[in-house]
Amino acid sequence: MALTSAALALPAFSASVPDQVEIGIKTTAYRESDQNPESVLVGSVQRYDININQFYLITPIGRDWGLALDLSHESMSGASPWGTVSVVGANTQLVMSGATIEEARNELSVGVTRYFDTASLGLSLTRSEENDYNATAMAVNGEWDFNNRQSTLAVGLSYSTDSIEPSDALSFGRTLKQARRNASFSLAWTQVLNRASVLQSGFSVTQHNGYLSDPYKLRDIRPRQRLETAINFRYRRFMQRSDSSLHLDYRYYHDDFGIGSHTLRSAWYQNLTDQFQLIPSVRYYSQNQADFYVGGDDYGLAETVFQSSDYRLSGFGAVTFGLQGRFSQRDWSVSVNFERYLSAAGYALNASRAEHPGLLRFSLLSFGFDFRL
Amino acid sequence: MQLYTTSFQAMGCPCELRLFAGSAAVAQDAAAACISEARRFEQKYSRYLDTSVTSLINRSAGVSATPIDPETFSLLQYADVCYEQSQGLFDITSGVLRKVWNKDRQTLPGQAELNEITRLVGWDKVRLSESEFFLPQRGMEIDFGGVVKEYAADAIAMRVRSSGISAALVSLGGDIVTFGAQLAGAAWPVGIVHPTRKSSVIATIYLKDMALATSGGYARYFDLQGKRYSHLINPNTGWPVDSLLSVSVSTEQAVVAGSISSIALLYDRQEALEWLENCGCAYFAIDQDLSCYGNLGG
Repeated sequence: MALTSAALALPAFSASVPDQVEIGIKTTAYRESDQNPESVLVGSVQRYDININQFYLITPIGRDWGLALDLSHESMSGASPWGTVSVVGANTQLVMSGATIEEARNELSVGVTRYFDTASLGLSLTRSEENDYNATAMAVNGEWDFNNRQSTLAVGLSYSTDSIEPSDALSFGRTLKQARRNASFSLAWTQVLNRASVLQSGFSVTQHNGYLSDPYKLRDIRPRQRLETAINFRYRRFMQRSDSSLHLDYRYYHDDFGIGSHTLRSAWYQNLTDQFQLIPSVRYYSQNQADFYVGGDDYGLAETVFQSSDYRLSGFGAVTFGLQGRFSQRDWSVSVNFERYLSAAGYALNASRAEHPGLLRFSLLSFGFDFRL
Repeated sequence: MQLYTTSFQAMGCPCELRLFAGSAAVAQDAAAACISEARRFEQKYSRYLDTSVTSLINRSAGVSATPIDPETFSLLQYADVCYEQSQGLFDITSGVLRKVWNKDRQTLPGQAELNEITRLVGWDKVRLSESEFFLPQRGMEIDFGGVVKEYAADAIAMRVRSSGISAALVSLGGDIVTFGAQLAGAAWPVGIVHPTRKSSVIATIYLKDMALATSGGYARYFDLQGKRYSHLINPNTGWPVDSLLSVSVSTEQAVVAGSISSIALLYDRQEALEWLENCGCAYFAIDQDLSCYGNLGG
């Protein structure tokens, strides 16, 4: 159109937008609380400590492209449950590994995004390596704006292949090498409700195929397929008067292992001064146990019968309290985040009678620094 | 990211900035740069300021050519394209017609008075070169209504964008430019003021990386001897246009939206709607009966 091309000759439009490069680092200390000694039959009472270091870079390339790079290194040490033993007249007891596990995980992710007028299309590749677990993932994400941009549709597809080679497999009679493939699809609709609030509704489905058992557990036999579906809602409300915003998220999850879960999270973003922001949050989680969950490993069952005493497949509830503080300056910001996670069978919506003795309690402290070039 | 808002007065109208920035310092720097940029445009192009380029050009009408800088040249060239595209209806020399048609007027002007004044109108009479601009007759005037305020909004938004702000809304008296998304990918909601009832919103429009300009609107008309007249005058006839009450247009640049909506108001109702359709842009139009047209708003 003649007016548009004439307008583009005006000086303001001929100036190009300079690139904004953003770089951030984050270091996190994750500490699981020690296992109660009375619940441990054999092994260490110390559980996992993980230290995570992350680096990211986001940079535009020209006007229409963006590049994102993520690197992370995790070092883990501690012990994890190998199995459970039912003891007559007492609570189920854990068989823990010795406190000798020392592991590291490295992950690299590269993503490019092409921006269009009312849409964007992104592609990312991720590679994660551990001494016993490698994963390669690819994801494609698209976003489209509709209804004069009051609505946004986001579609995501991802696929990954994982290979599992348990350490010390020969000495412990573990499986030598296994593989797993995961494919997932997600759909999300974001709708502007009014001047101050937005609602996102989403749906996702993930299919896992291959070896889904835990090779370190003494007796852990799970189906070779798992279909997971989830629906989620995210509500954001901005409050001009108190200079704050409310985030409310809910997720319902179900899979064909028989696990159903509810997650409710609420966070309050409060600006205290122009530079300082405080974000308290609370999260509640509840799940029922998997169909083949057993309280104590049953060596009497045939090896073709599904069973697992993994605490992650048991019925339990969990509460996470979080507090984040963020201090922002012109070209940089610092944030500190603390979380405390507590789980127990009694916290679940349908509290199960038998609590898994290995349910987690952990604390997490992270420190982040972001700056713009 | 947090939302920072600032209001200020420039170019004779209320202006507003809404910036999503990582810190107050970034937002304050960007806001200060925006306000000084708005003031720069006002100083340079306001016809109410004696020292502006506009006043200098108008004072030199019929006397001498005025030297102009590249920015002024490109704005005058843009006005030239608007004149061409509207078949002469959008004419930045037509401001003198306000001397005949204004709120203080008690009776309709006679044809002689109109002939006298329309003599001083005509973009086709001006002389424009890269370094000079000349209004050939004494009494001729230009004003940049419908161009400079809109362009200033664009220029300010470009400036904000380059100062590390991820999302912003810039409003100069209702000419609005947005970029980026607020709150979790959401568009910026903008209310269109009811053309006859102040402080009442007739439609809400959502903008993301788009600009919006509104022409006409609340109280942009006057009543004379029992009839309502638009403040917009056909430069060929010298008579107010019997047109739409208000037109809002959304395009990528506010300056384009502003000229499309200004031109729309210079046509009569039916021609205006055809013009808007032909431009192929998103618009929202309200006619004298308060009927609404277009694919924007709701």
